[in-house]
Amino acid sequence: MVTLNMNGVDCHYGSIKILSNVSLEVKSGCFLGILGPNGSGKTTLLKSISRVLKPHGGSILINKEDIYTLKPRQVAQIMAVVPQHNDVGFNFSAMDVVLMGRNPHLGNFQMENAKDVEIAQNVMKLTNTWCLADRPINELSGGEAQRVIIARALAQQPKILLLDEPMSHLDIINQIELMDLIKNLCTKNGLAVLAVIHDLNMASRYCDMLLLLKDGTVSALGPVEEVMTTENIQNVFGVNSIIRKNPLTNSPYVIPLSPKKPSEEKNYSIHIICGAGTGTLLLKYFHDEGYNVSAGVLNNADSDFETCELLKILSISDPPFSAITNKAYEANLTMIKNANMVILTAVPFGLGNVKNIEAAIDAAKCGISTYVIDETPIEERDFTSGQAAVSLMRQLKEHGAIFVKDLTELLLALKK
Amino acid sequence: MSNTITQNNTNCSIENSYSQRAKRWKLIIAGLIITLIITIIVSLNIGYTFISYSDILTYLGTRIPGINSFIDVTTFSREQLANQAIILNIRLPRILSALIIGAALSASGTLFQGVFKNPMADPYVLGVSAGASVGAGVAILWGAGLTFFGFPIVPLAAFLSALVTIFFVYKISQVGVRVPEMSLLLTGIAVSIFLAAIFQAMQFMTTDHKLNLLVNWQIGSITNIGWLNWWSVLPFILVGIVLSYFYARDLNMIALGEDTAQHLGVNTARTKKILLILGSLMTAAAVSISGLIGFVGLMIPHITRLLVGPDHRLLIPASILLGSIYLIVCDNLARAAGGATEIPVGIITALAGGPFLVFLLRRSRQKYRM
Repeated sequence: MVTLNMNGVDCHYGSIKILSNVSLEVKSGCFLGILGPNGSGKTTLLKSISRVLKPHGGSILINKEDIYTLKPRQVAQIMAVVPQHNDVGFNFSAMDVVLMGRNPHLGNFQMENAKDVEIAQNVMKLTNTWCLADRPINELSGGEAQRVIIARALAQQPKILLLDEPMSHLDIINQIELMDLIKNLCTKNGLAVLAVIHDLNMASRYCDMLLLLKDGTVSALGPVEEVMTTENIQNVFGVNSIIRKNPLTNSPYVIPLSPKKPSEEKNYSIHIICGAGTGTLLLKYFHDEGYNVSAGVLNNADSDFETCELLKILSISDPPFSAITNKAYEANLTMIKNANMVILTAVPFGLGNVKNIEAAIDAAKCGISTYVIDETPIEERDFTSGQAAVSLMRQLKEHGAIFVKDLTELLLALKK
Repeated sequence: MSNTITQNNTNCSIENSYSQRAKRWKLIIAGLIITLIITIIVSLNIGYTFISYSDILTYLGTRIPGINSFIDVTTFSREQLANQAIILNIRLPRILSALIIGAALSASGTLFQGVFKNPMADPYVLGVSAGASVGAGVAILWGAGLTFFGFPIVPLAAFLSALVTIFFVYKISQVGVRVPEMSLLLTGIAVSIFLAAIFQAMQFMTTDHKLNLLVNWQIGSITNIGWLNWWSVLPFILVGIVLSYFYARDLNMIALGEDTAQHLGVNTARTKKILLILGSLMTAAAVSISGLIGFVGLMIPHITRLLVGPDHRLLIPASILLGSIYLIVCDNLARAAGGATEIPVGIITALAGGPFLVFLLRRSRQKYRM
């Protein structure tokens, strides 16, 4: 068991304060992700824990012992660090570099023995670097070198592992494999991990706890679900976002939104008939452009409904998995009648929502310009069993609705 | 599939080669030690007077406890006694001087290049050479022939002024508790240029025979180093060599970066400081008796790194031995090439070493990146 504590840590470079009053606790088996915008003090936080930058106030303890009273060697036996930048001065081979991870465990004139070589071999196999063993480290690609450095850290057989943006040079498969490996060491071997991670979704997928840093202070600290909220992300990163569930891991999944342009409010109403996420992009786009956007009929567990709630877009909704009620249908029609334009997205149709096409037909009949986004042919998304949607769609075309392929084509059509 | 098999085979050999690394290193060092001994004996044979190898070994034996009881000095002829004096009092001190000076310069060159992670670093980078020059210059011009408790004053003045210079360079570059590498290098260059100008001014203003002494000092030579000088600098060089080997593994870590070395358990700040002091001490001791022999400290570490790899546990002893061998051989050439007037060895070291380093660099261009 190992416990790492930071108590009220202050750090500054000259007169510029980088960290103020940071406190946290990480125990064996915990994977803490450190998030924050550029310059929020993430790297400084790791530097202070790794004994490179002595804090000006507060204390950092490993198992209740101050790390600055321990010898560097003692700290290195417990804690390994994967720094952000790695430039090796001389032409050491990858194996040389990994074996250097054994340094804190060796006596003064002791050579690495067969056991150390075996440990190095094992960690190199874990990080997919064994095939690079005799290659000079300076000739490896950024990602390969990064994996060698991670192998070196693991060769220290640490109880605490600090990582500063470990995925920055890695491609996606190596990112996933690395994070799986670290997560595994965390849960199976009780490694305590502190990692600065830029990718919010990687952090939320793999971490148990998250620390949000803003201007050197702790803005939020706790379990992923509690920290990864729209409010926190807005507060720390200044970006609006939608939070969904990652369908694979059930962890929060962040979709950051482009900052809203301060566009002039236009006196033009657009009603969007959508569902199942097909409308998200359109809702966001026309909302940001300053149009008066409304939507319906949605069901109120739908992701498009969540988008509407988030963007404060007026929408008509029904409970999930129920057919569109008459009441909702009528309300939807009222909205349509007040709109200058109606857009029907490429939503799949079943018996529950097929009435939405009828609403679009009504709009076309009333002479409101109606656009249909036809990304997937209707035959492929008609689940009404009687081809009801297909025939309704044909009617819609007959009444003068304009069919376009996607948003780009829609915007082109609108310009004309 | 066949690919994976070959890969496993090659990597299996890596595993073996690493577990037998200690053995291989010992063999390399043993080979270099034997080469050094052979070089010394061959060099004892070189000179105006011909003395056979068996005689050389006999004369050497008279000074080795245990063996000297078997050699009856009283039976030596007058010529043999003269030859014994040539070997023991002229050739041997000169060769052993080349040995310790070569060792000191290559050792400190290796340390400086390691600490600064910079291939351009050499033993003189912190101003040792310029500092020693000014001290030696002052002693040559105004104190020639003086002694201080039996010590000749020129080496003593050179040694002390070198140490004072290093101390100031270190203090000037200090920022708070840290001594940044870049600041140290730049301060070293600035101080060197300043002191070199003073030394040049001394040369400019000297017109008599002392000018020759100043020029000789600057080129570096090991012609007139007696046993007294040799014994008085030996402790500094020995201590420096032994202690620097103690930090060999730390230097490997420092090559990965100062912070990384710290993460791997090295007390980086303290280690750097100690290594800089050791390197400067060895250099100051060496140049105080030989003058400024150039190029050995810059080149020998490079050549050794090309031959045995970058691990300082092998690199430090190997470059010490190679540096000794190199300077002994260069000194032989200096004696042989000049005829009656000897060429200073500093000229030979640079003349021979420059092209050789270029040759090695070109041959292993792909492999060698700093």
